[in-house]
Amino acid sequence: MITLIINGLKVTVPEGTTILEAARRLDVEIPTLCHHEGLSPQGSCRLCMVEIEQRGRRRLVASCMFPVAEGLVVETETETVAGARRFVLGLLRDRCPRSEEIAALAARYGAKPFGRLPLGERDLCIHCDRCVRACEEEATGCIAFSFRGWARRVEGPFGEAPADCIGCGACAQVCPTGFIAVEEEGGMRKIWGKSFELLRCSACGKPFATREELVFQGLDEGDLLCDRCRKREFAASFTRGVR
Amino acid sequence: MSRLESAKALDEWRRSLRASRCAGRRICVCGGPGCLAAGSADVHRALVAASQKASFAVDVCLDVVRTGCQGLCQQGVLVTLQPQGTLYCAVQPDDAEEIVDAFLQGRAVERLLYRDRARSVEDVQDVPFYLRQEKHVLARCGLIDPYSLDDYVVQGGYEGLARALCLESETVLERIVRARLRGRGGGGFPAGRKWEACRRASGDPKYVLANGDEGDPGAFMDRSLMEGDPHSLLEGMVIGAYAIGASKGFIYVRNEYPLAVKTLQRALEAAREKGLLGKDVLGSGFSFDVEVCRGGGAFVCGESTALMASIEGRPGTPRVKYIRSSERGLWESPTVLNNVETWANVPLILSRGVDWFLSLGTEGSPGTKVFSLVGKVKNTGLVEVPMGMTLREIIFDVGGGMPKGRRFKAVQTGGPSGGCLPEASLDLPVDFDSLNEAGSIMGSGGMIVMDDRTCMVDVARYFVSFLVEESCGKCTPCREGLRQMKTILDDLSSGRGRPGDAELLRSLAENLRDTALCGLGQSAANPVLSTLRYFPEEYAEHEAGFCRSGVCRDLFRFVVDGDSCRGCGLCASTCPVGAVSGEKGRAHVIDQDRCIRCGKCCEACIFEAIVVGEVTS
Repeated sequence: MITLIINGLKVTVPEGTTILEAARRLDVEIPTLCHHEGLSPQGSCRLCMVEIEQRGRRRLVASCMFPVAEGLVVETETETVAGARRFVLGLLRDRCPRSEEIAALAARYGAKPFGRLPLGERDLCIHCDRCVRACEEEATGCIAFSFRGWARRVEGPFGEAPADCIGCGACAQVCPTGFIAVEEEGGMRKIWGKSFELLRCSACGKPFATREELVFQGLDEGDLLCDRCRKREFAASFTRGVR
Repeated sequence: MSRLESAKALDEWRRSLRASRCAGRRICVCGGPGCLAAGSADVHRALVAASQKASFAVDVCLDVVRTGCQGLCQQGVLVTLQPQGTLYCAVQPDDAEEIVDAFLQGRAVERLLYRDRARSVEDVQDVPFYLRQEKHVLARCGLIDPYSLDDYVVQGGYEGLARALCLESETVLERIVRARLRGRGGGGFPAGRKWEACRRASGDPKYVLANGDEGDPGAFMDRSLMEGDPHSLLEGMVIGAYAIGASKGFIYVRNEYPLAVKTLQRALEAAREKGLLGKDVLGSGFSFDVEVCRGGGAFVCGESTALMASIEGRPGTPRVKYIRSSERGLWESPTVLNNVETWANVPLILSRGVDWFLSLGTEGSPGTKVFSLVGKVKNTGLVEVPMGMTLREIIFDVGGGMPKGRRFKAVQTGGPSGGCLPEASLDLPVDFDSLNEAGSIMGSGGMIVMDDRTCMVDVARYFVSFLVEESCGKCTPCREGLRQMKTILDDLSSGRGRPGDAELLRSLAENLRDTALCGLGQSAANPVLSTLRYFPEEYAEHEAGFCRSGVCRDLFRFVVDGDSCRGCGLCASTCPVGAVSGEKGRAHVIDQDRCIRCGKCCEACIFEAIVVGEVTS
């Protein structure tokens, strides 16, 4: 176990824990964008930067990736940290002026857009990479970033509808700004320019998953349960056991 | 070719090679990047033909070889005669027969010799450009045929490896640590410490990597080494692998360096055939092999974690690195990554000794450093000088100073991650620590000299534009921040600047430095921060709409200084749009509506009568 100090408070956590995880145990708030509990961290949005002191040197690190160390001193509310947050959120305000989520975060942390970029078409993508990681880690890895720098964008190979997409919608689910469009209507799901027929839950009859998803997970159509019904079934199995 | 089974066998082979060559006379044609562009392939062909013709007539054998970069790129195509060391400049294919005839008669072709003022210089060592240099890493570059292992061995090649293999691997490591060899790729991190950490780290296999992804504008140090002396890199890597306990190595080269790729691949084959690489190196029981890995040409792939991602076959983007590569690097294995020049220093430390190495350079940065000296300087080229030489000595003694009497303004070191240093910094000793303190970096050794017709805001804009193109886009500060900075710099240089822009730039740059994900992003702020630090007045003028250097076209006009103008008409005759007019012997005038601000008149005027003035509305 490792003991460190965050904002003057001692906390003891297992080795390999990140500063962000340790801070959340103390209910210390650190804003994040590219971080998602269900995905491997990548530290690219730079919003979760905190200040640490090591060997007499102070510097900013990405708390979502920095592993705790014995005696580490972390500060999450210094002027330097606040400045870094304002910088990152200010940049994202310019990048995605239409995003309500970014606007709310910016307002909360006192960030303003710099307002110097030439006007042009803007989408809602903040390049957090959550969709790409979700697809890679939970599904088929059919979307990725193409191009680089400012022009980089998430899409299927060659900008076409991704052939391997199974329509699971994990990408849309983890997107923090609602950039990835997913439509469900009349038992069909539309995503990434493809349409998928939705299968019904064998218990409640709600259309919820695509056939491609089922095949990918190696499941039978017969015992198909939606999230809600699966939870109910699971709980029921417990009570049966108690009896 | 038979395999060499021991260090002794290598020694014997070297001796037999030397004995068979004692009478060898050679014509070395430079095949470095500059000379190749100047047509050295044709010169080489012509010299081969001429020497064949001559050897029929008189019964002597003349060897004509294509070598790597000989250094003085400005004067290419270069041809050096060995063993005399006669240097010919600007050689054309038509000169071939005369060169060969004179060589056989034991005289020099006067008109092709290097001219220093009125005097012509015969011996290459007396050419001012070479006089102050100390070529150790580049000692063989330009002298040997890069495709020939024999050539390398004759010149003492693989002696360092033979010595290393006779020592315990710990001893080899200890020597590198004691030599205080620092990484030549930019950071200046002590190589020995990196190696030590990797050796101690648990994990198998261990890897050694060479970073040959040189991408700074105007830099060609590593390229010249890989193209001109590939075995020195290989030898260094084998020694490093032995010291660390690595079994596999990769040389990462950008595919824009096709000649380097080809040269390295041939070198690998030759070394393997001779048992200098592969299983049981020189019969020592130690096995190690190297593969060339070609990069797709992204600047960011020179960053260590991006380079490793690229070798692994993933997109070349950096990873957040709170655990060192020496513990967890390529495929999560302990890895040592050094740049090409760093590796090429290793054999020298083994063959000539630690004390010899420490006697070169400074206390904190021992050894020499290779630079590519480019820009507004008389002698552009590839130079190697001991660490600690001042910028002034490099630019004015080796480089020959400013051309056509222009004034020095700044020198840019370290490429897009480096900074611009002003005239006041000229006496700064060039070593890792001094340059860092001054707000620039050593970088891999690019050195761009700028004169008084260079606008520092425009320079910052150039580097930031380069970085906007090359940013991988993974982290917010680099992807978005650089683009913001570019917009402001574009505004400043086109008359749309606003008061406070310089301060806004500074704040963006400082935030970028502190928050970016990788080393390239963090250092991307340097071109802006260093120009802001040393040339604040130019930023202030640009905010107000004036460019003193006459570069940003909307922010100045050319005017004729009536007192200095003699009315010679040179300007009028060079103007491509007919904007200059005036009577002979009388002060001329420039029609501002016609003038396209190309600067031709200003360059043509011998009385410095055409000056940069402010735009008046």
